[in-house]
Amino acid sequence: MRIILIGFGVVGQSLAKLFIKRETELSSLYGFRPKVVAIADKGGIAVNQRGLDLQRMLLIKAEKGTVAADNEYGNSKMSVFDLIESLEAEVLVEVSPTNVKDGEPALSYIKSAFKAGKSVVTSNKGPLALALPALIELAEHNNVYFRFSGSVGAGTPILEFAKRCLHGDRIISVRGILNGTTNYILTEMAEGRVSFEEALQKAKQLGYAESDPSMDIDGIDAACKLVILANWVMGKRVTLKDVSIKGIRGISLKDIEAVAREGCTIKLIGSVNGRLEVKPEKIPRNSPLSVGGTLNAVTFYSEFAGEQTIIGRGAGGIETASAILRDLLDIKQELATKLLS
Amino acid sequence: MRIVMKFGGTSVATGENIRRIADIISSSVSKGHQIIAVVSALDGITEKLIEAAERAEKRDKGFIHNLGQELLNRHLRVAGEAIFNSSILKEIQLTIAATLEELEKILTGILYVGELTPRSKDYILSFGERLSAPILYGALKDVGLNTCFLTGAEAGIVTDDNFGEANPLMNVTKLQVKERLEPLLQKGMVPVVTGFIAATQDGITTTLGRGGSDYTATILGAALGAEEIWIWTDVDGLMTSDPKIVPSAKTLPELSFREALEMAVFGAKAMHPRALEPIMDSNTIVRIKNIFNPNGPETVLVKETKAKPGTVKAVTLLKDVALINISGAGMVGAPGTAAKVFEVLGKNKINILMISQGASEANISLIIRRNLMEKAVNALELALLGGGLIREITGEDDVCVISVVGAGMRNTPGIASRVFTAVARRGINVRMIAQGSSELNISFVVKESDGPAAVQAVHEEFKLGEVSSF
Repeated sequence: MRIILIGFGVVGQSLAKLFIKRETELSSLYGFRPKVVAIADKGGIAVNQRGLDLQRMLLIKAEKGTVAADNEYGNSKMSVFDLIESLEAEVLVEVSPTNVKDGEPALSYIKSAFKAGKSVVTSNKGPLALALPALIELAEHNNVYFRFSGSVGAGTPILEFAKRCLHGDRIISVRGILNGTTNYILTEMAEGRVSFEEALQKAKQLGYAESDPSMDIDGIDAACKLVILANWVMGKRVTLKDVSIKGIRGISLKDIEAVAREGCTIKLIGSVNGRLEVKPEKIPRNSPLSVGGTLNAVTFYSEFAGEQTIIGRGAGGIETASAILRDLLDIKQELATKLLS
Repeated sequence: MRIVMKFGGTSVATGENIRRIADIISSSVSKGHQIIAVVSALDGITEKLIEAAERAEKRDKGFIHNLGQELLNRHLRVAGEAIFNSSILKEIQLTIAATLEELEKILTGILYVGELTPRSKDYILSFGERLSAPILYGALKDVGLNTCFLTGAEAGIVTDDNFGEANPLMNVTKLQVKERLEPLLQKGMVPVVTGFIAATQDGITTTLGRGGSDYTATILGAALGAEEIWIWTDVDGLMTSDPKIVPSAKTLPELSFREALEMAVFGAKAMHPRALEPIMDSNTIVRIKNIFNPNGPETVLVKETKAKPGTVKAVTLLKDVALINISGAGMVGAPGTAAKVFEVLGKNKINILMISQGASEANISLIIRRNLMEKAVNALELALLGGGLIREITGEDDVCVISVVGAGMRNTPGIASRVFTAVARRGINVRMIAQGSSELNISFVVKESDGPAAVQAVHEEFKLGEVSSF
């Protein structure tokens, strides 16, 4: 399978490492032989129609900061759009940095990939939160596949669990912790008895929070994931502006201590139940949603199978890369069926 | 005798060449022959038109404008060199200018709409021949011949609407061509007909695809019951091998149609396979002649040849190919494996040139065009790997195909042994072998760097450099 990789940060590089490490198994167990024909990062692109040497690309990225510095395959002039339109490939993997303002440039990349007859795998929440219904329609219209399981819960198969394991049932509502950074801060406040600021500092030190943590602590990241869940799992046609969002900036140690006396804890909960909402909520300590650290947890309330909670790590490069790999294998299967039908 | 003469792109590349053609036709007419001339576009013009069509679709206004000027200059210059009489020249200049005006209109249309359909592309491509035919007509008039020029459609060729590679409705075509050209021939005229282009029953312009002008010649030949068809090119007929590889290569004096087909498929500069179809069952003779050496060696193609058993006619080398190897123990005794392979390649529009599978069934080897290798390996991997049937699919692009052609190989034991012994003596390893049961052709694959030596070895073994061996 020929792949164009847009974005060569933590997730992109993790995916490359995964391909290298599991090459033999992927081929023998799944008949999957990924061939990355182009990589684009901020500095430019590297292209080789016969497949780039990923080891070499990782090395160049580490040494020079961009794959465009490769003296044989690098190119700092060619535009990513030209690449997507003209290079032969089956799949575009879009893992460039998230932008929730307008989703660009990822949104346009994904659209042009669909038009060029290429399937897309992404973990980029920006375009999904802003335009998921439109993107799904475009993919169907162009007869290509669109997968984004890494966008919610990273490696934890939250989207697949709902879509496949609850196949045939009807999901009435969804509630869960969709952001690991805020969950770490809230856990730290409750267990370490520290203020919000102190907990945030610690999260930054450990690399759980960005230097500008607003995406996480203001609930935007969780809201994006909620939009994706609502679209994909419950068939709602909603975008980010349909979510009412409240972050955890206003939570004090005092608030947490107050609910602790009632045997509860405060969690940043995203829920779809008629309306879409992200806000701090009081959760009983014995609830399955009461998970600590950077964990994510989502509970599905289905009409017949009842209540299920799936818990797992919700962030990380290799975790997200593993979700992208799942999506690629899924597309490989679909393409094989199409070629032989 | 009635002869259809076809002049290819290089034969009409310059005014001087066109003058030469006029002299050849004139001397044939004076010998009492009836001549129908079929003419290709000037060398390089069809490629230019393809580019123009594509540029117009991309709205490249500047290119279209420059091209119009370039085409006008080139054709006027060639006409000026080919035609001496000023009033005839004037007439041709006007025709060229009017034709180019029409081309510019259609290109402008494409430019505005930004859409190039196969139908409009065929129309644009037809201009190459519509510009060259009037020049030859002028030159013939200039040397005193009674002549006229027609498009393929005006001559009566009707096709289906498979634009880009249209198929003649042969019986309608035969009837119409006879109706339209026979009276002209009776009047002693030399009709100049555009090669390559035709039209549907509704008069929409179509083209006949690669080798289209040869096809036009054989269609007209078959319709008019011509005794001979002369294909004028820039080489001395078909050779025993490529003289660049084997300096002792000789012109083949005679080949059967089927032998010529085998050679064409495997890369020899012969006629396009489709072009021989209309005359396949007739006694029409095809001569392949060199416009620059009209009295030199030529190749005659005939329906049947008496082949001397144990001889071969030619060795060809086909480059720019790739070998695809599909292997896996799971393929053994699994019906339908080959079908899946072909289906996947077919869906990706990849043509297979050569196929070989040993009776062990553990692998299938294919030869395809080299530029499609990545695409083919990728599609096969996507579709077939992981099902337990196939373990590995590999592509190698440093290979070439050598074909040994000749009807004399039929029913003669030992030919293959001689071929492979000769190759082995040079220390060359053979990667893949195929021979159809027609026995007209043995093809095998070697490393690309070994190709020339392998061709030389076979050429030498069968003494093809010595004409007496035929």
